[in-house]
Amino acid sequence: ASRVMVASRNYADFANEATFEIKKCDLHRLEEGPSTTAVMTREEGLHYYKTMQTIRRMELKSDQLYKQKIIRGFCHLYDGQEACCVGLEVAIKPTDHVITAYRAHGFTYARGVPVREILAELTGRKGGCVKGKGGSMHMYTKNFYGGNGIVGAQVPLGAGIALACKYFGKNEVCLTLYGDGAANQGQIFETYNMAALWKLPCIFICENNRYGMGTSVERAAASTDYYKRGDFIPGLRVDGMDVLCVREAAKFAAEY
Amino acid sequence: QVTVRDALNQALDEELERDERVFLLGEEVAQYDGAYKISRGLWKKYGDKRVIDTPIMGFTGIAVGAAMAGLRPVCEFMTFNFSMQAIDQVINSAAKTCYMSAGAIAVPIVFRGPNGASAGVAAQHSQCFAAWYGHCPGLKVVSPWSSEDAKGLLKASIRDDNPVVMLENELLYGVPFEMSEQAQSKDFIVPIGKAKIERQGTHVTLVSHSRPVGHCLEAAAVLAKEGVECEVINLRTIRPMDIETVEASVVKTNHLVTVEGGWPQFGVGAEICARIMEGSAFNYLDAPAVRVTGADVPMPYAKILEDNCIPQVKDIIFAVKKTLNI
Repeated sequence: ASRVMVASRNYADFANEATFEIKKCDLHRLEEGPSTTAVMTREEGLHYYKTMQTIRRMELKSDQLYKQKIIRGFCHLYDGQEACCVGLEVAIKPTDHVITAYRAHGFTYARGVPVREILAELTGRKGGCVKGKGGSMHMYTKNFYGGNGIVGAQVPLGAGIALACKYFGKNEVCLTLYGDGAANQGQIFETYNMAALWKLPCIFICENNRYGMGTSVERAAASTDYYKRGDFIPGLRVDGMDVLCVREAAKFAAEY
Repeated sequence: QVTVRDALNQALDEELERDERVFLLGEEVAQYDGAYKISRGLWKKYGDKRVIDTPIMGFTGIAVGAAMAGLRPVCEFMTFNFSMQAIDQVINSAAKTCYMSAGAIAVPIVFRGPNGASAGVAAQHSQCFAAWYGHCPGLKVVSPWSSEDAKGLLKASIRDDNPVVMLENELLYGVPFEMSEQAQSKDFIVPIGKAKIERQGTHVTLVSHSRPVGHCLEAAAVLAKEGVECEVINLRTIRPMDIETVEASVVKTNHLVTVEGGWPQFGVGAEICARIMEGSAFNYLDAPAVRVTGADVPMPYAKILEDNCIPQVKDIIFAVKKTLNI
């Protein structure tokens, strides 16, 4: 005998989309910022939630595997930051480009690599997305350039990818991410200089989780207003815990 | 007769024309015509998109990123001494990425510029990086001597899908060499990874790269008058090194002298000696191999000191006579 389960969630069947109030972003060198309301459809909401939950579960599992020494070397986890990578991914197109540092598992998944291939890579199997040759810090896929181990080195690379976008004239952007610790690196300022000089389609995104390893931002940075550190580059301070806030800010930046 | 400078210029011009994705960037490469005038006329011909002047710092990472995204940059270092500032991008971002990504991401970039000693530029501007870059898997490293080498290797490097470090020599830029008809054609390539025997000989093998190849040939001319015939090998490529050509020569001559401008410890000569020992040619050596290298000091400024810090013709002759026991 087969059982039929009836799910009775009638409130969900009534609304197909909803409008949310989101936090206003602090602005640097901008007259206007992203909109303070965001519209999200039911499909979108479920997709965002499912993606973020998957990343959360994957990262917690990776944590366990790391403690069991089944994952070796370094394992930088993204649990808690999921809204960033998901908000960014849904704001851009698959033909846009993303590069980040080593806390990259969330982005790897968001950019299309299946969980199975990520876990296989973490455990050094040839079924991993780069055949076990890269590991936690070096995962790549189409239009996703890792996964970079050297703090800050990915930022000039991202500007280079943006240079290629401009060169080929295909109206693509490059999201170039780095952390609050990396934000004090000299090569990032060198990159700001060239990106502004050559007007590269590069969005610099600082994921501020308030700590660079064990050092809190107050102990590392003379100015913790990371969105202003680009000086002549306009900036936004975005609430990274709100997926819609991230989405709207990224859309705004991409349009800009 | 074509100077090395003009040969490099021709190579850049031809490759810029051949492939839309090739572009040149570096300090002073555009409006200044190149710090050493290697890129003379190219900005006028190809414009801002293909020949890009950069600020002093930060362009190496950008060049590598552009290569990852499908362009084919030629990144000029004003000298390789300055590449030390950016060496993380050359090694960790360029050299290793193809491997780390299991082949998914190629980095078809060429890093080029003057390497090694110049004239009176002192310690911080005179270092040879052949051994440093030659050490790293994931990079190809080439070191031209003649105009033919320069043009052919630069074209081959640009067409290669791997990151290539091309170590030129400032003192060679103005030196003219004969160039054959064939070498002047637009498709002339010198294959990476193949050495060239510049002079046949029977008594001793001289292996060298870059400017010292010229010194070896001068030494060979002097020694010929005394009845010693030297075989002079121009490595052309540091990595992957063509040790087979050296081995075949040692089997013939039974004596080996390596000559390089860089420091002795862990240098190109050391690698050649180790590989000869590991291979079949060892059994054919009649005497230990001898290395002629730059002196193990930071390069001094005074001319007399500087001259004595780099291999001279007399040092090569001395080394040959030592190994031949004459």
